[in-house]
Amino acid sequence: MGSLFRSETMCLAQLFLQSGTAYECLSALGEKGLVQFRDLNQNVSSFQRKFVGEVKRCEELERILAYLVQEINRADIPLPEGETSLPAPPLKQVLEMQEQLQKLEVELREVTKNKEKLRKNLLELIEYTHMLRVTKTFVKRNVEFEPTYEEFPSLDGDSLLDYSCMQRLGAKLGFVSGLIHQGKVEAFEKMLWRVCKGYTILTYAELDEPLEDPETGEVIKWYVFLISFWGEQIGHKVKKICDCYHCHVYPYPNTAEERREIQEGLNTRIQDLHTVLHKTEDYLRQVLCKAAESVYTRVIQVKKMKAIYHILNMCSFDVTNKCLIAEVWCPEADLQGLRRALEEGSRESGATIPSFMNTIPTKETPPTLIRTNKFTEGFQNIVDAYGVGSYREVNPAVFTIITFPFLFAVMFGDCGHGFVMFLFALLLVLNENHPRLNQSQEIMRMFFHGRYILLLMGLFSVYTGLIYNDCFSKSVNLFGSGWSVAAMYSANHTPAERQEMVLWNDSVVRHSRLLQLDPSVPGVFRGPYPLGIDPIWNLATNRLTFLNSFKMKMSVILGIIHMTFGVVLGIFNHLHFRKKFNIYLVSIPELLFMLCMFGYLIFMIIYKWLVYSAETSRVAPSILIEFINMFLFPTSETSTLYSGQGHIQRLLLAVTALSVPVLFLGKPLFLLWLHNGRSCFGISRSGYTLVRKDSEEEVSLLGSQDIEEGTNQMEDGCREMTSEEFNFGEILMTQAIHSIEYCLGCISNTASYLRLWALSLAHAQLSDVLWAMLMRVGLRVDTTFGVLLLLPVIAVFAGLTVLILLIMEGLSAFLHAIRLHWVEFQNKFYVGAGTKFIPFSFRLLSSKFSDDVA
Amino acid sequence: MLESAELYFNVDHGYLEGLVRGCKASLLTQQDYVNLVQCETLEDLKIHLQTTDYGNFLANETNPLTVSKIDTEMRKKLCREFEYFRNHSLDPLSTFFTYMTCSYMIDNVILLMNGALQKKSVKEILVKCHPLGRFTEMEAVNIAETPSDLFSAVLVETPLAPFFQDCMSENTLDELNIEILRNKLYKSYLEAFYKFCKNHGDVTAEIMCPILEFEADRRAFTITLNSFGTELSKGDRETLYPTCGKLYPEGLRLLAQAEDFEQMKMVADHYGVYKPLFEAVGDGSGGKSLEDVFYEHEVKMNVLAFSRQFHYGVFYAYTKLKEQEMRNIVWIAECISQRHRTKINSYIPIL
Repeated sequence: MGSLFRSETMCLAQLFLQSGTAYECLSALGEKGLVQFRDLNQNVSSFQRKFVGEVKRCEELERILAYLVQEINRADIPLPEGETSLPAPPLKQVLEMQEQLQKLEVELREVTKNKEKLRKNLLELIEYTHMLRVTKTFVKRNVEFEPTYEEFPSLDGDSLLDYSCMQRLGAKLGFVSGLIHQGKVEAFEKMLWRVCKGYTILTYAELDEPLEDPETGEVIKWYVFLISFWGEQIGHKVKKICDCYHCHVYPYPNTAEERREIQEGLNTRIQDLHTVLHKTEDYLRQVLCKAAESVYTRVIQVKKMKAIYHILNMCSFDVTNKCLIAEVWCPEADLQGLRRALEEGSRESGATIPSFMNTIPTKETPPTLIRTNKFTEGFQNIVDAYGVGSYREVNPAVFTIITFPFLFAVMFGDCGHGFVMFLFALLLVLNENHPRLNQSQEIMRMFFHGRYILLLMGLFSVYTGLIYNDCFSKSVNLFGSGWSVAAMYSANHTPAERQEMVLWNDSVVRHSRLLQLDPSVPGVFRGPYPLGIDPIWNLATNRLTFLNSFKMKMSVILGIIHMTFGVVLGIFNHLHFRKKFNIYLVSIPELLFMLCMFGYLIFMIIYKWLVYSAETSRVAPSILIEFINMFLFPTSETSTLYSGQGHIQRLLLAVTALSVPVLFLGKPLFLLWLHNGRSCFGISRSGYTLVRKDSEEEVSLLGSQDIEEGTNQMEDGCREMTSEEFNFGEILMTQAIHSIEYCLGCISNTASYLRLWALSLAHAQLSDVLWAMLMRVGLRVDTTFGVLLLLPVIAVFAGLTVLILLIMEGLSAFLHAIRLHWVEFQNKFYVGAGTKFIPFSFRLLSSKFSDDVA
Repeated sequence: MLESAELYFNVDHGYLEGLVRGCKASLLTQQDYVNLVQCETLEDLKIHLQTTDYGNFLANETNPLTVSKIDTEMRKKLCREFEYFRNHSLDPLSTFFTYMTCSYMIDNVILLMNGALQKKSVKEILVKCHPLGRFTEMEAVNIAETPSDLFSAVLVETPLAPFFQDCMSENTLDELNIEILRNKLYKSYLEAFYKFCKNHGDVTAEIMCPILEFEADRRAFTITLNSFGTELSKGDRETLYPTCGKLYPEGLRLLAQAEDFEQMKMVADHYGVYKPLFEAVGDGSGGKSLEDVFYEHEVKMNVLAFSRQFHYGVFYAYTKLKEQEMRNIVWIAECISQRHRTKINSYIPIL
């Protein structure tokens, strides 16, 4: 617990890295992940730093690798995952690697380019054959003189032209044919019509099979068209329009003979191209396969290298330029490891002068490091989500481990639901090494990370479920109820007793709808149930009233204990930061305020539970009235819990009232007095002599920096005070705000803990409703067909239980438990103004690799 | 349209407005410019741009990096954003977007025609065309020989068609005529856009009308300035002025009579908005050019457009600001690559 209670002690260390060995040293450090580097070149912009060139080189390598990965993925070659533990490449190998990769890239680009070219060629040829095939039908129709051909733009009388006819007229007939995108046909036709004023004939037909578009690589539908036109001028225009619409134009054969020849030529060329393309693809595949083997490790190596150079960019050079100086935060416990890593790095690079380090004193607040394991991590995350703890302050996560699941369970008290949750969490915990779980999707991952929290939440819910005696909204009679109905019958009692008490006989039982058990009748109440609520309450109509009263009181008791504990933890903080005056001037008044009011309330609740029995319950005063009367001083004498109550209450009230001004003014006045050299406040001096003796605060407050330097570095807490200028008004304001917040908070936070009652009530009622609406209906059906109905009913019941009661209710209880911790508990002592310690570690990088590569 | 766009604006355009405001927040800051100016090479510039919202938009560019590569990539990025806006817009806004692209389309058409005049290949010029003003029929522009040809054959079905009313003529397209055509197109485009915004009413009109008025007046000034010493007659010049600006009608009449810069400045002096602008223009080598001053004023108006909500002006303003930013980056990049560092600071800061 030691390491979890407070964050680790940190020290600022200076690393002197020989420029020759810096890379290796950082590599060794990165593998270990011990230290957090500080940026010493903050005001130097990113491109003016020392190692920009190297970073750029890494980026270039990354670009090549990304290209490789992209090509490999496109070729559907599986990427084998290499080992991630490979160290960053030694500098000598980097050049070699770069050369290799560049060569590979050039080769790959060339082969792909060739391949693309071949593919394009092939595509063109295929298009050409298609075009020839389709246009043949056009011409045939043309020759047949079909008078009204609907695909033709409407033409004048001289539209019925064939080749020979045109020749007779002496005009030159030209053809342009090709392929065009499906979507552009209409616009193309319109434009042709407008530009050429109808001196063209456009025939087109849809190509039956879709072909790839060489520019975008998309597979789309094409149209084959044939334009017949006459005249050179128009020919130019037609060609330009074809260009504009990105048509693929192919020469049009004039005779059938020519057409056949071309077709044959094309067929042989297509076959040739197919074989060549096949070979190229094979070769490409080979190259890629070879590259795929090493690509994963390369990616990791380059990432590590880039990380090292980024860190090197944070270091500054010393005067002689031979040595890099880095400043790091290092946990004191890891200093040995740091030294060893440096030695290792130096040895590896074979440097003559080893790199070394020394710790330097600092006034800055170190980052917060709290070492967690897989169990405590989840709880620490709950605390960190509110705010990372200030350096060395009490870490509420330790207590959260128990209080969080407990408060959750108070709201989620159901044995059965808790057990289901426990089983689910247990499943996650037992399979935590399963790779599928580690890479699961968002919601599942959330559950996975919180598996230990869930486990404890489930366990505690089972416990509170037993206390509430609730299992899927039903009570379990484990030990036999403490109440006896038989004792209520008059037959069991002597006549003398019968006279005094209201007992049952046959006519009473038969004629009244409700019967009341009277605990004062001997034998009816045989002592409390051993564990939790007596199951007989499940039959009672006033069950809710009873439970509400119980749960409400329980919430208040739990809440006040929780908050008081928070205030006590504040004392630990003040002790650690050597601010003893805070204990006397802040914590103790706070405690008094809380305990004298609400502590007394708890006392009254418990007192009433213990003192009043079934016989005396009718004279028991209401706690609420008593508590209100404590502040109102009623003139008329009311019934009291115990004798002398009025005096004690008045005393408590006085203490409460007195603690408020101390809370408001104590700390500011004390600080002012310290600031003024402890002289001018004659009145307060005598009162605080005790504080003066051991508070080292004053020493630093006197402003003597020299003493400060000499003393232990650990007392960071006090040092903040010296650096700040003393501003009485500000301190007074802060303290006033804090006090108001605290005093009002005591009341509102206590009320806030009533959510424990409200949510547990809601949960119990909801599960009760679910039972009544589904299972009771299902169980009432007659025996012959009941089984058939019961199955789906149970299925629906189970589904709704999981969805509504476990997930929805669980989430809401979880949120409320978080709120109780963050607001009600932590605001009593937790500052949470620290920064997290983020070590330079390759392990933090490696989690991202898989995302990038995959 | 009813008043109080607040009630229903967000139903149709709320998402896009939110998006465009987010985009605006990612414009380079003053600090970014300070850093960019310090760059030694284009590589440095690339590294710095990586830390901004541009991200690694240059990551896939092979070395060596050139200014034109940066420019194209930036344009592509803007174009992607614009296309996204346009594809997700509903009617009045999508018409607004169409109007916005028209100006780029006009520029592209003119560019292509100029290229055709100089017998350059279409492909070569296509690269230079602004991607926002791309349309399919564009490449067929060089078929046309006269403006009416151009209209009836190529542009009938484009959004540019309505702007052709005034420029149907059978003149052959030589350089001067193309320039006249461009200005006429622009005039009717601006007037139509102005009318659209005015009719739309509401905040859109309140924001967009001043911007378009300024745009119209700027064109009037530029036309005047460029026509000094050319064969363009004063009467012709007047027909080119867009009539939706603040200068209309008196100022335009005076401008048409202006014969040199001084006279133009005197015209501007009558107008409170333009007087300080013309005063800011430095003479000779020292000060800013008129163009820069106009740009600065434009930036100011566009930035102010973001202070109102529930209007379309933000989209226009964002595009213009982004364009200005791209001009700035290109300027800085040019200065760096040409080792011409003395003028590197004369980019137009976006406030």
